[in-house]
Amino acid sequence: MMVRVSGALLRFTDYQRAIRVDAPTVEAALVKLAGEYQPLRKVLFDREGRVRATQKVFLNGEPLEPDQLASSAGEADCVELLLAISGG
Amino acid sequence: MPRCLAYDVPVDTGFFTPLHLQPTAVCRLAFNAAGRWLSRHAISHRSLVAEHRTGFVLWSVQLVSGDPVGFFDGDRLDVRVTGRVRGGGTQVECDVEVRGPVGRATRVRACCVPLRLDGGPALSGTPARLGPEVMSAFLADEIEALPHRSPLPGLRTAIASGGAALARGRTPFVIHRHQCEVADQWFWPEAVSLAAGGREDLVRAEAGRVPRLLAAMRTPVGRLDLLFSRPFFLFDEGAVLSTAHEWEGGLAFVHELVGTGAGGDEPRALAIEQFDPAQEPAWR
Repeated sequence: MMVRVSGALLRFTDYQRAIRVDAPTVEAALVKLAGEYQPLRKVLFDREGRVRATQKVFLNGEPLEPDQLASSAGEADCVELLLAISGG
Repeated sequence: MPRCLAYDVPVDTGFFTPLHLQPTAVCRLAFNAAGRWLSRHAISHRSLVAEHRTGFVLWSVQLVSGDPVGFFDGDRLDVRVTGRVRGGGTQVECDVEVRGPVGRATRVRACCVPLRLDGGPALSGTPARLGPEVMSAFLADEIEALPHRSPLPGLRTAIASGGAALARGRTPFVIHRHQCEVADQWFWPEAVSLAAGGREDLVRAEAGRVPRLLAAMRTPVGRLDLLFSRPFFLFDEGAVLSTAHEWEGGLAFVHELVGTGAGGDEPRALAIEQFDPAQEPAWR
């Protein structure tokens, strides 16, 4: 599947905006992505390894709830990662 | 009595247009002033973020221009700032005055929403009430029960229904890092610059047909209102959708700042600039 990254997350993927990831589910893709781009791990996952609530995940444009991250995804699917808001 | 912080800053040419203070510069001064007030009287901004996992995101801003100030009028600007908590800790608000050697000050009221940061390096967070340890840093008369309510939705409706539309324009933009704060999220005063850019592009394009629009270049902004719904981030693409109106004897520019992704225009912020308003605006 293709994972699209934008905005405040770009610096954690070395400014790659579209990254192809081979994985059976959305969650597995995020784990694999965080393995490839180590700085992204702490951004996407909390200490317990759960996807942070502040991280919005979309599959083909549809938002996924945390319990939907195990959704299967194929080569033609597109996962989008969005940071809703950050505070300084 | 609410605590005030007063100080002065040396002027530089970037604070000014040929007409008055730059609204963007005033907003940057105001944000810095709010940080100074917090640091002096409550808790430092850095400590809030780093130790209390509390950040802020701007929600509503009003700027009311005072008497025009120019670069050659004096060596320093006087800044006065007060702060308060509103809505049971769901908002933090500051009032800032920026004054030249004489005349009425330009005033900014900025209302932030506190965020509970998730501890990650992206400084991402979700809106949350201030924690008791932060609330305790405010005096009793710096805590107001009622939340701030933005006048912008009502103002926009009033202008749309009671004003005469003169011209419309669209100015695309991309957010670059120099327009962002530490987390690669746009720094909110950039909204002021983008709105002004939308207005000036509209004037450039349409003043030949509507000469009245030139008043928005000949006179400084009298009042500026902003309302933020969702931030832009690094490399986000957007557009300023600007509409000029004749309204209450003056000019009003309504600017909708939208993201322009694959899903079409998505509202992110609203700005309304008013020029030579018929009467002195008051805080609402």
